[in-house]
Amino acid sequence: MRFRANIENAPIFFRIIQAVEKLQKKCIIKFTEAEMHIICNDDANEGGIQVWSVVKVDSIFTAYRIQSNANNQITMAISTEALLSALKSSSSSAASATVAATVLPAYDADEVVMKLAKKNDQAVLSFEMFGISRTGRRVRVAHDVRIDVMRPADVEKLREPLCPEPDVHILLPPLQKLRTIVERLRALSDVLAIRVNNNGKLQVSVSTDSVKVETQWTGCPNPPMARDAQAQEGEGDEIQDAVDKPDPDKMFSVLVSIRSFLKFLNSHVVSTTTIACICQNHCAILYVYIGEVADAGGVLTFYIPTVLDGDD
Amino acid sequence: MSQTQSQIMSQQSEVEEEAKPVLTASVHDVRYFSALLKGINLSNSNHASVTLTREGGMIVIVEEGRTLLATSYIYPDHFDAWDYTIPEPTRVLSSQLSDLSKADDPEDDRSTSFEIPLNTLIECLNIFGTANLSAATSSAKTKKWRRGEDESDNERGGDNEDNRGGGRGRHRQRESSNAPNNSRLEQYFGANHEKRTSMRLSYGGSGYPLTLLLAEDSTGPTTTCEITTYDPEPMIELPFDGDQTVLKIIFKSSSWLREALSELDPSCDKITFISNPADDVRRAQPRNAATKPLFRILATGSFGSTEMDYPNDREVLETFECTHPISVSYRFGHINKTLRALQSSTKTSLRIEEEGLLSLQFLVPVPKPRGGMSQSFIEFRCLALDDNAE
Repeated sequence: MRFRANIENAPIFFRIIQAVEKLQKKCIIKFTEAEMHIICNDDANEGGIQVWSVVKVDSIFTAYRIQSNANNQITMAISTEALLSALKSSSSSAASATVAATVLPAYDADEVVMKLAKKNDQAVLSFEMFGISRTGRRVRVAHDVRIDVMRPADVEKLREPLCPEPDVHILLPPLQKLRTIVERLRALSDVLAIRVNNNGKLQVSVSTDSVKVETQWTGCPNPPMARDAQAQEGEGDEIQDAVDKPDPDKMFSVLVSIRSFLKFLNSHVVSTTTIACICQNHCAILYVYIGEVADAGGVLTFYIPTVLDGDD
Repeated sequence: MSQTQSQIMSQQSEVEEEAKPVLTASVHDVRYFSALLKGINLSNSNHASVTLTREGGMIVIVEEGRTLLATSYIYPDHFDAWDYTIPEPTRVLSSQLSDLSKADDPEDDRSTSFEIPLNTLIECLNIFGTANLSAATSSAKTKKWRRGEDESDNERGGDNEDNRGGGRGRHRQRESSNAPNNSRLEQYFGANHEKRTSMRLSYGGSGYPLTLLLAEDSTGPTTTCEITTYDPEPMIELPFDGDQTVLKIIFKSSSWLREALSELDPSCDKITFISNPADDVRRAQPRNAATKPLFRILATGSFGSTEMDYPNDREVLETFECTHPISVSYRFGHINKTLRALQSSTKTSLRIEEEGLLSLQFLVPVPKPRGGMSQSFIEFRCLALDDNAE
């Protein structure tokens, strides 16, 4: 099993882990030849939220080499906090939260090498940074993050949650803005209703005995989904579309735990574009694009299941 | 709070849909409205009693422990528009409920009262995160409050002698002397380009929710809040008898009191106001100045006590009237609750009645939508602790 890569774009890597770190103490990272998958699927998560993300290797790494008996894939469980602090020291621009989610080169480390190693019979992911200190000296910083390499049999068992075909897709307003509003709503209720239609309307609302609050955006684009166009199930989808289209104003809604929705909103640090999909009364799926959509450097996918209660 | 009535009434909403709402009001910047409410938000679970009238605007009252009464007066001129319709009794009633609503406000049937969860209202106002006056230093804050006035106001700030009457006269004068166009525009668009939350408020009458429509700008999202209203429950009344006033102090700047109070340790449990007539103090000096302070704040707690004396200086105590020596104690937790109101106020009046009833009035200037300033105020009334009834 061999694995080695240069981290070219540490700020993006840092921000992805930052978004995930709020969710779970440990996450699963699966490296394949072309992609890095970050998976948070702990059942104990707040409101059952899960993250399944795919990042293209090219958008973060260079000189990427991977080799294993399991189809050249390596899957590991890793502490998000430890990984975050390793990445933090690799890049001053990543560490300063004020920098917008633009792609900035690592400032103080010219080279960050990540590789799989074994130290004292313990598998580690070793981060080695070379840079120039402020006084002009060459410095080398190394972090070893303990990992558990997962057996291929266990990896096989990892399954993305199955969802029905979403009823509606919509482009969300800037997550930072959405977050401000949802944070206020958290003081008022535990359950958030998200309602979306095919006419650019998005509503988030809470409803309790003492107050009903509803915030509405209009004119949010409804992107046509590539998945629909490909029509996995042929005619079946077309009929479905034909049924849906006559009424673009029909609202599709899902109730989610506010706290888990806020966890998703933590990904505002990495997001440029976010698309929300609603499977009526089933779940919300949120695609957070890393970098510009056109680049398609990667996507963080959040699954938030509906809250099953009779509050509303 | 009988919610039943609310529910019954809301079922009738269809029938009464055409009726004109009791109140519609709008304001383009909710920060001042929000500050006036926050000043009396004594605890997060309090219900506030709201009374609406055509001339008096909105009076919001919060009570704590049958001892402390906080009132915020929000005048119609704070709003860009204020349209109050006296609810017709016939419209409000539905047979068995008519008695109830009559009993609610026997003294004035032209006003409307209801109760709402105050904290919920404040949270709703801040839904976009732009309802807070920035928590800058006191001097910066004073300036903020005065935005939209002419530059010379800073010098003029102190030269009105009387709290209310003078203030009124002053702003009328100012209105005419201002070149109002500039300041008006500035207020509408914000001097800097920060976003402001604007609000449209409506209340359909007893049994209807208080409806807020909030937005930042025409392109952004809009928020609709429906806050359940409850039938008003009688609050304690603490009438202050002006003829029985023993002590009357006007702090030239609210910071003279605010800084004193914020200096005190939160673990204190009792605060005492000690005062002697100015003549007595002058005669006693210099022999025993310590025993006859003009005005002293004494805070005691399990870890010791703190004393603060005020000088007889017009720059600090603009007005000082004391008829006879007095020493009255209050629960520190109650007096401490005034800090938030103090923060947004410019001037403070402190009065104590013969029985020990304390009245604190905080003057809160609010820029009017049509230029100029309006003087609003928050009042706290607090009963004295029993142990020094004599």
